[in-house]
Amino acid sequence: MSATTTEPVRDEPTLSDRIDDVFDRPASVRSLAVLRLALGPVVVVHLWPFLADTLAGTTYEDHFWVRWWGFVPEVPGAVQVALVWTGAVAAVGLSLGWRTRLVAPITFVCVAGNLFLSQHHFRHNRAFLLFLLAAVALADSGRVLSLDARRRRARTGTSPGDPGDDLGTVWPLWLLRILAASVYLASGFSKLIDPDWSGGLVLWDRAVRHQHLVRERVPEPIADAVVDLVTARWVHTITSPIAVAMELFIGIAIWFGRTRLAAIWVAIFFHLSIELSASVEVFSLAAIVALVIWATPSTRDRVAVVPDATWVRRLDWLARFDVREEPGAELRVIDRDGTVHTGGTARWVLWSRLPLVFPFVAVAHALRRVRP
Amino acid sequence: MPARAAADAPHSSGVEQHAPGAGAAGSERIVRPRWRARLVRGFVAVVLVGHAVLLVRGYADPHKFFAFQPFNESSTWRADIVRVTADGRRVPIEEPWPGGYDWDELVRWGVLERPGTMRHAYSGLGTSLDFLDDALDWVADHTPEDDETLYLEATTEAYRNTRGPEVRVYRSELREEAR
Repeated sequence: MSATTTEPVRDEPTLSDRIDDVFDRPASVRSLAVLRLALGPVVVVHLWPFLADTLAGTTYEDHFWVRWWGFVPEVPGAVQVALVWTGAVAAVGLSLGWRTRLVAPITFVCVAGNLFLSQHHFRHNRAFLLFLLAAVALADSGRVLSLDARRRRARTGTSPGDPGDDLGTVWPLWLLRILAASVYLASGFSKLIDPDWSGGLVLWDRAVRHQHLVRERVPEPIADAVVDLVTARWVHTITSPIAVAMELFIGIAIWFGRTRLAAIWVAIFFHLSIELSASVEVFSLAAIVALVIWATPSTRDRVAVVPDATWVRRLDWLARFDVREEPGAELRVIDRDGTVHTGGTARWVLWSRLPLVFPFVAVAHALRRVRP
Repeated sequence: MPARAAADAPHSSGVEQHAPGAGAAGSERIVRPRWRARLVRGFVAVVLVGHAVLLVRGYADPHKFFAFQPFNESSTWRADIVRVTADGRRVPIEEPWPGGYDWDELVRWGVLERPGTMRHAYSGLGTSLDFLDDALDWVADHTPEDDETLYLEATTEAYRNTRGPEVRVYRSELREEAR
């Protein structure tokens, strides 16, 4: 008597399958390409104070500095000159997508090298910038939106938007997602467990000691009222837990499709409010641009039928739509699951997926939903 | 979707190709040598574990390097720094210094300049005072024209999130030049 076994039918992929997919299944690297475009100027702005110092003839070792590890010998100041200037030039190449596989690692090494010359070069925002540069360097971020892509197309005779033009390995994207989300969670959690922070004492004391800045920036007729408000203890008792909750919400909600758009909008608001109230160098710009990594790494998987495709094509940096122009046609969006959206819903789906207009569309949409 | 040949993909290395099959129907997968696949997975694991260690370590590290705890305090501090000479005099750093040295010029970092003024504790009290301690040693070691100062001493007055004062004394290493 023989027994037969049947392979169990597996509809749902296991965790192991999902992990293998992260490493082995190519997907769109377009979001990292968009990030790459913005990182060039961000790096140049970040390096500018160091560049200015070298132009004035000084390097890090001419003033107080602290080595990171005692066993590392003192690095000559000339090395810093080479690092910051090479990094700045490489950053320009990075944005242009010129020899991306070469200039992206160079940019990372130069920025990291300069940071590790002295402990006092460390800032949390600079560490975050290193994460972004590492991901862009590890992924094939020059596949699209780059001079490299243009050169490849000229050689192979393909054109922009051909299937597979933006496919590459995406484990660096997933790694960056984990690191970026953990930054929000680490920051939020550390404040949550600190009674001085979550109770409002830290923000209140800062506001009291910096009230002169508020008075300088706010018009005279309302300056007194604004200062009274921002220095009131009860205001910070309310707003501090909200600030902590925002960070935790971003770090968690950004992982789920149903809450991702809300998390991104909260993150934009969060970073703009930090930019207005604190000096964080390039962090606000870098963090807002980095939100593109949360776009699903597949392209042109929705169809948008529009009467005039000019602006949609210009603004669809992440190639979320297969845009079809039909003069006189009513706007239609065919979603990933085949659902056909028309009218206001189609407009929302379309405009909310275009990075530049998303923050404004999200607000308008939210207001419309709140109002009866 | 056609498999992408490595030769047509200038960004791909020679050993990494896309191949159909392996995964869901109609999909394609990146084919790597086994050693490289393990290397990639190992690299990611090391990065994530290292990141987690640094996040946790931040709770014990005054500098909170790579722990992502920004704006963690609203503490303040100031310091009276003196040069203690070989003959026992205590000379404030604001007074003339042999060799014409100037504290602000030597440190040239806003966090530690004008130490006598009460200021916000950059990145927390632990960070600021630890850097002040390092700066005392650095300055003691980078003022070769000063042949009278035996060591530098800072007496700090700090308020941790409005509570205090906490008073501490920091000293630099002894200087050979004044011995």
